Amino acid sequence: MAGIRGYWILAAAAIAFRFLLFVCFPKDLHLGSRPEVATPLTSLRRLAEGYWLKQASMSPYSGSMYHGSPLLLSLLGPLTKRVEGRPPHFYCSLVFVIVDFVAAILIRATGKKLMFSRYKSLQVLDLLKPVDASGVVDSGDFASLVYLWNPLSIVTCMGSSTSPIDNLVVIMAIYGACSRISSLAAFGWVFATHLSLYPAILIVPIILLLGYGLDAPPSKLFLLKNSSAVSFGASSENKVKSGASRPTGNSIQNFSWTRVLHFMLWSFVWMCYVLFLCSISLKELGGLSEMFKKTYGFILTVEDLSPNIGVLWYFFAEVFVFFRNFFLIVFHVNILFMILPLAIRLKHRPCFLAFVYIAISSMLKSYPSVGDSALYLGLLALFSNELADMQFSFFLFCGYIGVSLLSPVMHNLWIWRGTGNANFYFATGLAYACLQSVLVVESVSSMLKHDRTLTKMVEA
Amino acid sequence: MPADEQGETTQQEKRPRSRLIVRLAAFLVAHSILVSVLCCIAGLISFLLLPVLAKNTYVSENALMPGSANSMFSSQDVQKANRFADDIINGGDAKASGIEIARFIHQHMVDVGAESYYHKFHPRANNFQPLHFFSSITNNLEMQDNCSSTSFGLNSVGIIRAPRGDGKEAIVLVTPYNSQKITKTEAFSLGMAFSVFSLLSQVTWLAKDIVWLAADSQYGEYAAVDSWLKDYYNPAFLSDTGNIGANACYEENNHHLDVIKVEGPKCNVYKRAGTMAAALVIKVMDKHEMEERDSVTIYAEASNGQMPNLDLINIVHYLAVHRQSLRVRIGSMSYFLKAAWLKFFGEMLQQIGIFSKHMNPKWKIDITSADYVDGTATLASSVYYQALGVPTGSHGAFRDYQVDAITLEFSPRSSLNNENVRYSFLLRGGRLIEGVIRSVNNLLEKFHQSFFLYLLTAPHKFVSVGVYMIPFALLIAPLPIVAAALFSDNGNSDAKEIISGSWKWLRAAKVVFMIHLWAIIVSLLPYLLFQLPLSTAIKLTSVWAALAICTLQMVYLILGTCSYHCGWKLLKSVMIAAASIGLSLMSIINFSTAQIGAMLIVPMCLLVQPVRKETQAGIVLKVLSVTCNLALALVGFPPVALSIMKGMFEDSGSVGISAFWEWTQILWTWNSATYLYLLWIHLPCWVLCLHIFLYPCTRRSSKA
Repeated sequence: MAGIRGYWILAAAAIAFRFLLFVCFPKDLHLGSRPEVATPLTSLRRLAEGYWLKQASMSPYSGSMYHGSPLLLSLLGPLTKRVEGRPPHFYCSLVFVIVDFVAAILIRATGKKLMFSRYKSLQVLDLLKPVDASGVVDSGDFASLVYLWNPLSIVTCMGSSTSPIDNLVVIMAIYGACSRISSLAAFGWVFATHLSLYPAILIVPIILLLGYGLDAPPSKLFLLKNSSAVSFGASSENKVKSGASRPTGNSIQNFSWTRVLHFMLWSFVWMCYVLFLCSISLKELGGLSEMFKKTYGFILTVEDLSPNIGVLWYFFAEVFVFFRNFFLIVFHVNILFMILPLAIRLKHRPCFLAFVYIAISSMLKSYPSVGDSALYLGLLALFSNELADMQFSFFLFCGYIGVSLLSPVMHNLWIWRGTGNANFYFATGLAYACLQSVLVVESVSSMLKHDRTLTKMVEA
Repeated sequence: MPADEQGETTQQEKRPRSRLIVRLAAFLVAHSILVSVLCCIAGLISFLLLPVLAKNTYVSENALMPGSANSMFSSQDVQKANRFADDIINGGDAKASGIEIARFIHQHMVDVGAESYYHKFHPRANNFQPLHFFSSITNNLEMQDNCSSTSFGLNSVGIIRAPRGDGKEAIVLVTPYNSQKITKTEAFSLGMAFSVFSLLSQVTWLAKDIVWLAADSQYGEYAAVDSWLKDYYNPAFLSDTGNIGANACYEENNHHLDVIKVEGPKCNVYKRAGTMAAALVIKVMDKHEMEERDSVTIYAEASNGQMPNLDLINIVHYLAVHRQSLRVRIGSMSYFLKAAWLKFFGEMLQQIGIFSKHMNPKWKIDITSADYVDGTATLASSVYYQALGVPTGSHGAFRDYQVDAITLEFSPRSSLNNENVRYSFLLRGGRLIEGVIRSVNNLLEKFHQSFFLYLLTAPHKFVSVGVYMIPFALLIAPLPIVAAALFSDNGNSDAKEIISGSWKWLRAAKVVFMIHLWAIIVSLLPYLLFQLPLSTAIKLTSVWAALAICTLQMVYLILGTCSYHCGWKLLKSVMIAAASIGLSLMSIINFSTAQIGAMLIVPMCLLVQPVRKETQAGIVLKVLSVTCNLALALVGFPPVALSIMKGMFEDSGSVGISAFWEWTQILWTWNSATYLYLLWIHLPCWVLCLHIFLYPCTRRSSKA
């Protein structure tokens, strides 16, 4: 259970590496103009434009430049001003580095909680020795290092886009739910929904987390264990053990409504608070109705068809106008369709369920960026012990590297050299979507396989 | 949905049936050796067959209509060209001053009624910008840094405004000349361009502006044209507060131009004319041996193997052959023209063609041996110059701005001193240029109809991307298959590894990653070397090599024992995966580099085996595999590979350490992606191959 040696050194090195990058190459990288990094929703350049419009007492949403939250404008807007002798967006980059660090710390804390709960439930099931014989990685440390050293998250952090903040609030919601702090979970969920809409579906895993507690093997295993313990319960030592395990088993079964109610109340409070702040900041500049139209409406109707790494832009550039609404509904319902079956199948592992939801939504969202992948890859590493037997891991690894190198080259071929066309770039987008779906399918199936092996071990 | 699939996989363990694609992949992986041998051989043979598969070119864009109008270029224009060239030669002899020629050209431009100005530029220091091909925005600030230097070049530019155009498009003529020491051929190229220019100033059909750039090539043709284009596309805003340096530069510019004592006002104000539809670089070569016909040589390769649209070459070829009866040439490699094995192969193909015609008259593989050898030599030169990634002339500067451009090098049938030869030569050349311009003038859109990705096997034959990708795909197809085979093989045999599950490969990946990181550091070392006070190429190379070896040692220290505990099969599989990603990436950036690189890397990667591995096979096989490995490792070593290539492709190539250094210097000063390929993909792959070759198979060696 010991943590990874030199965790703090590695984490500090990751932070130092980010600083080094944006001190040494302030202008050379041009990451902010890459479609893979900055989407119309998260681009800091657009935010600066919105801030400027707001300073000139115009609606920040006029001119279809800015589509983010008005709260981000007030928070980051003053930092986007150019300072003499400093690289552009210097202070914003500082903020993003800190945000990344906080997110990594929260992932680590979540991982520690998950490890502890895993340890406890395995102890109850008497499986600690056979399962852990193959070696255990401290998943908290590992996941936070994966998040910090992931090239995608480094690129997002350098690339002057606001996705680090989106990621932070999502992680905050998950952490709050894992440590059963309803107010923090509600805060994270409301803000994540406010900033990018798609995290709204995380309400299912958050409620499951608050209600049932952290990830554990399926509850019927505990019942099985208990029943077998009772049937063999003649000897005294077994009795003691079953007596010890029974409350744990029961507590897993119980759904604590009070926490969920607290969460609901808190979410309501935070929601009112967010809307209130937004209405203050947009007073006489368009109001809330324009905000909803220009943020959520922009996300849902896929107005901006400039190329990105997703698949929707190409499709909606091709589709006939009279089919457009139909396909908009189809694409968005696609995400919603997944919610229920997955929630039923994975209800005993709500944290993993949250990862699956995030991965699916980042695959099907209207303006995806590599920042979303950075988030779900970091969360994936939280389950490194359970997913130790995942298939195709090497294939996926190579695929991610290949696609992330190929995508800028194809973009260059299409936009700057003029020798390729949109299909070249879209092909990498398709490959990327395929990789993500393979990742989701494989991780879910290996998680279920892990549960099955646990069942076999208990039965044996 | 994944939950549903899960239900299926539970039953999969009981039932042997699985999805078709999985079974196919398993089949391929199981027979990986056979598949890889077959694919490699098929790839090499189909690459040699490319000249047979080449198609005839055709003008794809209908709007071009080459040769549909009668030429207006007459004997009067020839006399004009003659007089212009003579004046320049005589004037050059008298004064030998660069500014005088620029002034002379400027004066003539103004006389024919064109707008004209001087463009002053400073030779750019060679910067090390490895990712230049990738970044889209060119910084115009950096070139103003060395304003204070007294060395400068002076281009004279003339613009004819089109009577029928809206001034939004232009065609560019470029004639490079050395202002310090003008030669007779340069004077004739200037004369030819001037006569066409003066003709075009009178015609009524012009719909695109004509820009004539007389480029001062004393610092290199490319530098002059490139700096003019940079100014064309990056307007300097004098009102900007940050550009005080630019202001100073302009003042100084005026100061220098005072020397010329310019007549008209505003003759150093930069003027523009719309987006460029096409650009022609005109050069004249003098010949001393007699030939049957005047000829024109086409150079088209721009940086990183980019080619202009094939239609531009098509119209030049069509007009030159069918209207002006010029002979059209493109570069070819003399080594291949003389090679006996190629002749033999050609004979064989010819026989096969005759035989197949007997079998079925519809099969048309009729190619003569001589045609085949010619085609291969031309193809080799096409591949070689694309693979270098260095433009073959000043037309390369245009391609960076997505303008299609080619260089036309005219050479007469005998010496230009002969009056008759000169007359017909100038007439034909002028008519060809006029025809091409008239054709391009008809264009309604940018060149887009025809191919951008092609290889030429003759002036009228090409291999398109769809065809030449097949040999390459066949060549690198074994890489993923063998990687998968090694990967799964390792999983079965070494079940008792320390790390459980499917994440064992992480250690091997760590080794491969560190070696690639080392290669990136090595590729950046020349940047540091230029700060050191070293002069000779041999010293620089040895310092570079020493530093590289030192850092490699450091990498091994960091890796520690890890580098020998990850299992050679896993290491090889990860290395092959990295190589295949790198090769497929390079095939998109610069196909020819990837093709040549694949021919070197693929056999090396596939055949490499630890020398200390114990096998059941006989001693003969073992010796064979070791010698194969050693030979491939020797050929794969970048300097050796470079010198072999040089010996094969370049006629007068000197081989040695200093030649190697110059070679690399050329590659990176031209920001060629080939340099990156060589150091980021080829070099680490080679090092890893050596690593695997020397891998100690601990468990087995203890037995042996």
